[in-house]
Amino acid sequence: MDRRGFVKLCSGSAAGLALADWTHRAAAADFEAAPPARLVGGDGVPLKAADIPAGEALVFAYPMAGVPCFLINLGDRAAHPASMRNEDGDYAWPGGVGPGGRFVAFVAICTHQMSYPQPAVSYLRYAASGSELAGAPGRIVCCAHASAFDPAEGARVTGGPATLPLLPVRLAYDAASDGLAADGILGMAFVQRFFKTYKADLNARFGPGGYREAVGDTTACVPLSRYSGVVPTC
Amino acid sequence: MEQSTSRRNFMKLSGVLLAAGATGAAGLARSSGAAASPAIVTGGMAALPKPRGPRLVVVGGGTSGLTIAKYAKKAYPGFDVVLVEKRDMYSSCFSSNLWYAGLVDLEFLADHSFLDAAVNNGYTYFNATVTGLDRASRTLVTSEGDIRYDFLVLAPGISYDYEKIGVKDADTIAALRQTYPGGFVAPTEHATIHRKIKEFEGGVFVQTVPSGNYRCLPGPYERACMIASVFKRNKVKGKVLVLDANPEVTIKKDGFHAAFNELYKGYLEWLPSKGVTGVDVEKRIIKTEFDEYKFDDAAIYANVRGSTLIEQLGLMAPANKSNQKEANVDTRYYNIVGDPHVYVTGDSRPHPYSKSANTSNTEGHYMARVLAARAQGREIPWVSPRTICYSMVNANPMEAISVDAGYDYSAEKDVITGFSKDTRTFESRDAAKGQATLEWARGIYRDMFAA
Repeated sequence: MDRRGFVKLCSGSAAGLALADWTHRAAAADFEAAPPARLVGGDGVPLKAADIPAGEALVFAYPMAGVPCFLINLGDRAAHPASMRNEDGDYAWPGGVGPGGRFVAFVAICTHQMSYPQPAVSYLRYAASGSELAGAPGRIVCCAHASAFDPAEGARVTGGPATLPLLPVRLAYDAASDGLAADGILGMAFVQRFFKTYKADLNARFGPGGYREAVGDTTACVPLSRYSGVVPTC
Repeated sequence: MEQSTSRRNFMKLSGVLLAAGATGAAGLARSSGAAASPAIVTGGMAALPKPRGPRLVVVGGGTSGLTIAKYAKKAYPGFDVVLVEKRDMYSSCFSSNLWYAGLVDLEFLADHSFLDAAVNNGYTYFNATVTGLDRASRTLVTSEGDIRYDFLVLAPGISYDYEKIGVKDADTIAALRQTYPGGFVAPTEHATIHRKIKEFEGGVFVQTVPSGNYRCLPGPYERACMIASVFKRNKVKGKVLVLDANPEVTIKKDGFHAAFNELYKGYLEWLPSKGVTGVDVEKRIIKTEFDEYKFDDAAIYANVRGSTLIEQLGLMAPANKSNQKEANVDTRYYNIVGDPHVYVTGDSRPHPYSKSANTSNTEGHYMARVLAARAQGREIPWVSPRTICYSMVNANPMEAISVDAGYDYSAEKDVITGFSKDTRTFESRDAAKGQATLEWARGIYRDMFAA
């Protein structure tokens, strides 16, 4: 409760963060291991890191059918491990995996007011070459209220009203096959609130309760431009 | 149990009807002379659960009140929060312009339940109209009984000030209010304007823009664009005549002028410095300082003032602090000057902030933390609200412009001095911002109603 009070205290502004005179250290948080899921293409064939484009995010579900995630190839940017904090507490973000440490994944739900990629439209996207709201190339941008996140730095907030980073998804890389798998997520309390917020929509899309089902051994990755009918380039 | 429930529902219903009869013109400027707080503490207590902590009563289920009720409870779970709202059905003022052009339906605006907001966020929704306040005994008087509070937040929104557009007699005010509503207070006004636009067969449709710090600065211009887009699409032989009291478009002027000139030639005419000085409702004539304009239909947006409730409860700021009859609150912490138990937030505040949903939403997040801190004997630093707001300027296809503004505070003068340096406008209209306009609103609905 104290920790939650603290998180609220900080929400809303940089000035809130400047007030860092907390008496209660936030608890340490860690990834929840989930059964690993191999990242495959829309055709079911395992993805090879070498074939993953850097121009846009791929969308996959993990660890449950209703949780949208972005797989991002950062191109020439490497993602180094970083100390992060979200509503669950402090955590160590492991950085990128695969060749050059270029591959990262996050839950594609804006932590501000929960915009996420849907079949009709996605207000959240990875703007590889920048955009009006992004502030710089290579940011994840939410059109709704202009929140921006840097995927090379654990999806920390770089602009807009969001106060918490996007939830991290842990990736594992297999050099032998040049393949990737998702095997952990951090922030299931947020995911449960997301489910509650969108329950009607999710039931309509996945069938009653279908959004809560585990994805299984593999999960398909689809370019955002194919996943969503409209992707505004905010 | 069954019986008592239905009896209570009945009493509630009759209470609401009575209240509606008594305050049907709640948004209407009363003739002045109302003395201080007309509190009549009946001693009949409202049927509410026994408080399980310091009671925070929030009056007004708009953007400000809904945000504060939810986030104050989150910031300090010890609070016992009651939201008092006179409406029994929500419908947002923000985004209502989009409905006129058919870009969203009424469900988009109104399919949001006060009950769900309360259940999802651990507070009580109390459907009643405020009739009085006794600050000495910390008692709020409502049509459904008295409520004792430890902290009281009043977020009653705005009222129209028809006197400032030269309409002073009660007959004309009532006729104008009903026949040519401004469409910036009540959902029933939106329904009327929606009908007018669909029924319009040709001629001049006037949209007025008032002077002063009116609610939703870009709102009347956006609405003019939406109406013009309908006329254009339906090949109506008519135009929207924008009579603007201001010498220039008040916000995002480049983006609006571009839309007026490039999209609505022949369908929209904008005239600056045309403050309304009188209206002949019968003859459908609007008077300005030097001219008269005949209209076929209109949305006449009078000047804006703090809600009449603020005046009725004796909480109005002196004229040198607010020339719009807003509340007499502390600049940073919103408590009535000298009373740390009563707060006024949202569009009845005297601040020069843009009276926008996003301002009230971000201000509400901050105010929730102020209240939580004060309930625990602490203070927090001031934080500026943020005004991120989109304006749809084209309906076919959807294209919008936007602004992202913050505000600066001067500790020396204890006033808000203007927009902060990081304020930006995005005035080249495009489809991305058009799409974002919809999600901007959905995000705020989620923030107010979901868990």
